[in-house]
Amino acid sequence: MVEAATAAVSSVIRRNNVTVTGNAEGPVMLFAHGFGCDQDMWRRLLPYFTDDYRVVLFDHVGAGRSDAAAYNRAKYGTLDGYAADLLEICAALELQDVILVGHSVSAMIAAIAAVQEPGLFSRLVLVAPSPRYTDDPDDGYVGGFSHADIEGLLDSLDSNYFAWAEALAPMAMANPEQPGLAEDLRSSFCRTNPSIARHFARVTFLSDTRQVLDEVGTSSLILQCSDDLLAPPEVGDYLNRHLGHSTLVHLQATGHCPHVSAPEATARAIQQYLAASP
Amino acid sequence: MTSVPGPEPVDFEALFHQAPCGYLVTDDGGRITAVNGTFLHWSGYSLPDLVGSAIQSLMPVGDQILYSTHCIPQLGIAGAVSEVAVEIICADGSRRAALLSASRSPASGQQPATVRIIIFSAHERRMYEKELVSALRNAEESEARRAEAEHELQRLALQDHLTGLPNRAGLKAKLDGFLAARRAGQGTLAALCIDLDHFKAVNDSLGHAAGDELLVAVARRLVPAAGKQATVARLSGDEFIVVDIFAGTDEATARAARLLDVLRAPMLIEGLEIVTSASIGVAVAGEDGETMDDLVRRADIAMYRAKSLGRSRWELHQPAESDPTADRLRALAELRHGISDGALRLHYQPRVDLRTGLAVGVEALVRWQHPSRGLLAPSEFIGMAEESGLVRPLGAWVLEETLRQAEDWRIEDAGGSRLEVAVNLSARQLNDPGLVPMVEHALRLRRTDPSLLVLEITETALMDDPGGALDQLMALKDLGVSLAVDDFGVGYSSLTYLKKFPIDELKIDQSFIMGLGTDTGDAAIVTSCIDLAHAVGIRAVAEGVETPGQVQVLRAMGCDYAQGYHFARPLPAPLLREWLKANSQGQRPDSSPVLS
Repeated sequence: MVEAATAAVSSVIRRNNVTVTGNAEGPVMLFAHGFGCDQDMWRRLLPYFTDDYRVVLFDHVGAGRSDAAAYNRAKYGTLDGYAADLLEICAALELQDVILVGHSVSAMIAAIAAVQEPGLFSRLVLVAPSPRYTDDPDDGYVGGFSHADIEGLLDSLDSNYFAWAEALAPMAMANPEQPGLAEDLRSSFCRTNPSIARHFARVTFLSDTRQVLDEVGTSSLILQCSDDLLAPPEVGDYLNRHLGHSTLVHLQATGHCPHVSAPEATARAIQQYLAASP
Repeated sequence: MTSVPGPEPVDFEALFHQAPCGYLVTDDGGRITAVNGTFLHWSGYSLPDLVGSAIQSLMPVGDQILYSTHCIPQLGIAGAVSEVAVEIICADGSRRAALLSASRSPASGQQPATVRIIIFSAHERRMYEKELVSALRNAEESEARRAEAEHELQRLALQDHLTGLPNRAGLKAKLDGFLAARRAGQGTLAALCIDLDHFKAVNDSLGHAAGDELLVAVARRLVPAAGKQATVARLSGDEFIVVDIFAGTDEATARAARLLDVLRAPMLIEGLEIVTSASIGVAVAGEDGETMDDLVRRADIAMYRAKSLGRSRWELHQPAESDPTADRLRALAELRHGISDGALRLHYQPRVDLRTGLAVGVEALVRWQHPSRGLLAPSEFIGMAEESGLVRPLGAWVLEETLRQAEDWRIEDAGGSRLEVAVNLSARQLNDPGLVPMVEHALRLRRTDPSLLVLEITETALMDDPGGALDQLMALKDLGVSLAVDDFGVGYSSLTYLKKFPIDELKIDQSFIMGLGTDTGDAAIVTSCIDLAHAVGIRAVAEGVETPGQVQVLRAMGCDYAQGYHFARPLPAPLLREWLKANSQGQRPDSSPVLS
């Protein structure tokens, strides 16, 4: 039985390309990347946390160096499948009192996981979250996109099919101003299987996790960027209203990825939130 | 920046503006700070239109999402993106396909980070790729449809249509997991073979529709009662099987008992209350390497035993318990190989003339050197050889080998030249039209005097088909060989036939010889057999002679020849030669110690 359990653990770790870094004695921070990227996107933010926290990173199945063979359209046909993986990672590493940091769609995956196992997570840090990307004409909810926009995204993904297909991907020329950047990172960053990316895009951008919000009992931080195409200010407000124990922080950073474009400001906001008593 | 030797700065300006592709410079958020003439010309915008606006705003929403979620973080982390497929919405509202590559310079000092972008028109290439991708999508979809159809087909092929349970093939397909689980050492794998008692009566009296309804009802009861993890399948007719992992044998048999109870409760079929019962055979997986087929077959054997022991009960098949059918088939295959691979041996038992005390001949007796069971006597395999027809090649081998051996003896030693050799014929051989030619061929091959060959046929074989036997015996007699009736006295032969047959000797069954000296009844039978033989003018031979007392009595009764352990047990050829040497001159075999 012990062997079987060990095999299950290593299969989860392999499936999601789980990596652990930082201070082994510190509290656990688990980072979940969003659509279109992989765990490398946390790279600029991590130095602010690795001294004090045990940092756990992973790739969603289909992204980065995860095991694409583990992809299953039925399981990953809803965000629940991704939440299940996240919980399995916690179980495999026997994590407790986890500070779960989720970007974009993974912020909502984090919310689902926190509802399913409320005792597992001490805090949720939701970076540029949105519970629904499309507008809902029935109740006037503003998500920012129409269904046609999302269809357009799927077309865009198709257009980049060959660029994302492993064997055909173009190699970016080295940037002389960032010579230290490892060759493999340049060529593999945010690489994703194009067919899986398309399905993940559909699942992500047509998801509606609003009904989950009321059930989240874990304290949460909402990081709202300015000028975020994917999460307009109305969405941050909506989340703040519906998530109990939530703190909304507006970042100066523009765009959808403040941890990339403004890592210091993002880290400071998270640290302040974590320092405050729950 | 350090100065670079080469062209004048004015050329850089021209290179920027008149480059064969669009150049743009933006900040981290995509806000355009500079744009070249080529791009302005290609997109139809003026410089003021673009400076200060975000490059994403020139793209359709889908591309914008992709740019925000994929390209900007990649630029931020990896410093470059390459050949991203986008569309640019031109000043006239038209969309132009393009490829975008970009690299980012991080902020330094007062200089904010900048992103340098080049844009190629990629109309043709995009059209081509679009076609490829749409072909790919179609292929994926039809592949998905095909897979779905195949899946459905497979489901149907693996399912019993009546009950919806897996059928035999479905059971096999499902059970890989069970075998794997057992390998991991989790519990005991067992199969419960369930057969309804008197199901045929339901079919016969109420019709097949009612029978089918009963099977469906049974399936509905079995599934919930069989256990959460169990696999329930319908193998055929009224035979169901339950396979599960149990804590041990006791749990498996307890489950069988529970299933019997569940099936005993009356069922309402076509408005009639029917009371059913079942017999269950339980087999627990034994050694590794046992297939699911083996397990199911063993459960089947136990089920039949439950039936024969009175039905409505369960029986357990022990892993060590043998399967008669399989054993027989295995043994037959072994015997077939044994005959062709030279695993048969001949032993020779001397026959002694009771008047002179000298050996007059030998009876050849076949042995099978079995690979695992050792040296087997004929009683262990002749019956099987008879039933299967293997006795023909076996009999032919025995005859040929005996005659070959006899030829050797003749060549080696002139003294052995008149030794008679007796060979047994089976009932099946007696019916074989090829028998006479076979004997003729063997005699010619070894240049054997036919009168030195005695063919022994059991009394029961003769009585099987006396008419047919007579013809064969006549034909054999015409070859010049001698014929003996073996095991005489146990087959109630009619004297009439005995007189008709061209017989040369009667071999009195050893069961009568054994009683000589102790049983007066046996003595009377032996006496009358000897008298009978002499009355029709043939010799009497006693088999199974074991004591000096028996020799004495037989001699007094006037018996002609005798054989048995008193003289010698059947011996391999070399030992027989030694025995013959020791008993040929002066020394009476009836007084020699038993060779073993």
